[in-house]
Amino acid sequence: MKVLAILYRGGEAAQQEPRLLGTVENQLGIRQWLESQGHEFIVSDDKEGPDSDFQKHIVDAEVLITTPFHPGYLTADLIKKAKNLKLCITAGVGSDHIDLNAANEHNITVCEVSGSNVVSVAEHVVMSILLLVRNFVPAHEMIERGDWQVSDIARNAFDLEGKVVGTIGAGRIGYRVLQRLLPFNCKELLYYDYAPLPEEAAKAVGARRVDDLKDFVSQCDVITVNCPLHEGTRGLVNADLLKHFKKGAWLVNTARGAICDKDAVAAALKSGQISGYAGDVWNVQPAPKDHIWRTMKNPLGGGNGMVPHYSGTTLDAQARYAAGTKSILENYIKGQEQEPQNVIVQGGKYATKAYGQR
Amino acid sequence: MFRTAARSLRPQLSASRFSTTGSSRGLKVLAVLYSGGDAAKQEPRLLGTVENELGLRQWLESQGHEFVVTADKEGPESAFAKHLKDADILITTPFHPGYLTPEAFQTAKNLKLAVTAGVGSDHIDLNTAVERKIQVLEVTGSNVTSVAEHVVMNILLLVRNFVPAHEMIERGDWDVSQVARNAFDLEGKVVGTIGAGRIGHRVLQRLVPFNTKELLYYDYNPLPAEAEKAVGARRVETVKDLVSQSDVVTINCPLHEGTRGLINAELLSHFKPGAWLVNTARGAICDKDAVAAALKSGQLRGYAGDVWDKQPAPKDHPWRTMKNPLGGGNGMVPHYSGTTLDAQKRYAEGTKAILENYFKGREQDPANIIVGNGKWATKAYGQR
Repeated sequence: MKVLAILYRGGEAAQQEPRLLGTVENQLGIRQWLESQGHEFIVSDDKEGPDSDFQKHIVDAEVLITTPFHPGYLTADLIKKAKNLKLCITAGVGSDHIDLNAANEHNITVCEVSGSNVVSVAEHVVMSILLLVRNFVPAHEMIERGDWQVSDIARNAFDLEGKVVGTIGAGRIGYRVLQRLLPFNCKELLYYDYAPLPEEAAKAVGARRVDDLKDFVSQCDVITVNCPLHEGTRGLVNADLLKHFKKGAWLVNTARGAICDKDAVAAALKSGQISGYAGDVWNVQPAPKDHIWRTMKNPLGGGNGMVPHYSGTTLDAQARYAAGTKSILENYIKGQEQEPQNVIVQGGKYATKAYGQR
Repeated sequence: MFRTAARSLRPQLSASRFSTTGSSRGLKVLAVLYSGGDAAKQEPRLLGTVENELGLRQWLESQGHEFVVTADKEGPESAFAKHLKDADILITTPFHPGYLTPEAFQTAKNLKLAVTAGVGSDHIDLNTAVERKIQVLEVTGSNVTSVAEHVVMNILLLVRNFVPAHEMIERGDWDVSQVARNAFDLEGKVVGTIGAGRIGHRVLQRLVPFNTKELLYYDYNPLPAEAEKAVGARRVETVKDLVSQSDVVTINCPLHEGTRGLINAELLSHFKPGAWLVNTARGAICDKDAVAAALKSGQLRGYAGDVWDKQPAPKDHPWRTMKNPLGGGNGMVPHYSGTTLDAQKRYAEGTKAILENYFKGREQDPANIIVGNGKWATKAYGQR
């Protein structure tokens, strides 16, 4: 069968660092394994436009492997052209770059390597919270510039201790974030989710559920987004919701860029309605050179903690999602059942409630 | 004249009391703080600035004391040097330290009490303070949580390769592999702290849910058994043991003769290649050129912290620009981790409490005493 993988380019880095498995060069480490079984394996990072390798090879690929860090956007139109496509695997977590409703219409199974980078992302969340609240970026920039003016940094630097932190989404990543926040002695840990945490889990982190989203954001000093992107969450954090934030709150989004309205966030940061925004996800990836989130700042010239989409593709995470992708392929090849938590859509329907409670 | 008369009436004290009594009217209090400029006017919570004076002016002056506040501290013509000559009480802060050297002490004829608005009093020559029977107090605990948070932030930003990633975005670029190639999870790594005191222990507590492979500590004192168990940390015998086993090393001990230059070229050669080093304790605990060389060679993958051998740090200090072989690995900031707005409130209040005890002849909180009446009151500065 033909397996098509859209991965990100590694260049020399991939040659010098073989642990960069998720690159076009290192091909998740599965080329030899696939070819020894007689399968065809096409790997490319060329994904935009009708002449791209992605669009050329999708027409007869049976299996498509994609990755959130350089996503091959499998739209409904492309799915119509993908005559042989049976299985999509996300090498990572988060399959919103695939039109899941269209996949259901065409009886295509979509799997992801659940859990492969949930810890990686949770760590990135806590790092982002700390660097925003503690005003790290302006402080580091000051040192690089040759300056020293403590008061200019301290004036917008706080401790995380005693602050109210809330997570939108208390799933695998959101819950791990709450666990990591526990020893920081926050004033309160809150969550907003369609499903309540199991009682013991909620008790273990001391988190309180809030039912109404506006109510939720109005109570938080720090808000972290940890839910998947689907019709119900696209543009969730918009100008109207931002008005209900506490003035000067900090917002972290390592979930998906499109959950936040990009211009509303930039405006809120500029006005100081939010003190800071950080994350590694963008509404389009790679992010254009002139994307507003690259340069937006708060009134004091700080408050920006953006990075490219890499939190879930640390070298440690890559080993896990490469191995997990191989397992999913192996199950498929052998006709074995997939691990339930890895299945997003199958047999024409959603196998998980996480993408819109269907 | 009134002051001289008042001093001569002051009763002598027995050695067991750590504070003086007698007339507290008409003392000269000198504070060396950092300047705040416009920021201090716009943000009144910047209490630790020259402009906002720890919020003490009115309180001190209403009791008849003279209060001189300055940021001008370098050299014999500085306001610090001039006013030190007749100050009774000196307030300093680690973020912009008035270096009270043995030579400076010689000029400080009236000095009785030195208060550090913050934690860490190494900028004061403590041996001389002992000899001269000048008390040295700090506001213990005022920013131990602040600093512990900064440590965890530094560990994460180094291990996860944040700075090059953010710089890439600012530049307009996008190259995931360039960042990912040197980005790791903290999970499964070995983290070791040099010092398991108030800050080091809080660091260990904050690391527990990250599921590190191991948490290690090196300290002249073991943690109490329950505390050790609660964080699951293992004590190691020597500093070499600690560094050779750790992926991440974090320094959380005071600066004194026993720790100055502790992290030198020799010790760095025992680190695991590619380890990350965080120092929020005192700059001089690390040899600045040895660290820069280790980072440049890749022996260290990253170095981060907010403390420098001299503060303010000179424009050309190597730690401003040093990088690892991939052009990253630098997480340096000015000395501010312990002077967040939250921390300033605590140490301003704590400084006032210390002064109040002093004026009223009350005992100080023992935890705050570094040097008491002619002797060391804590083992933390060299187990004396």
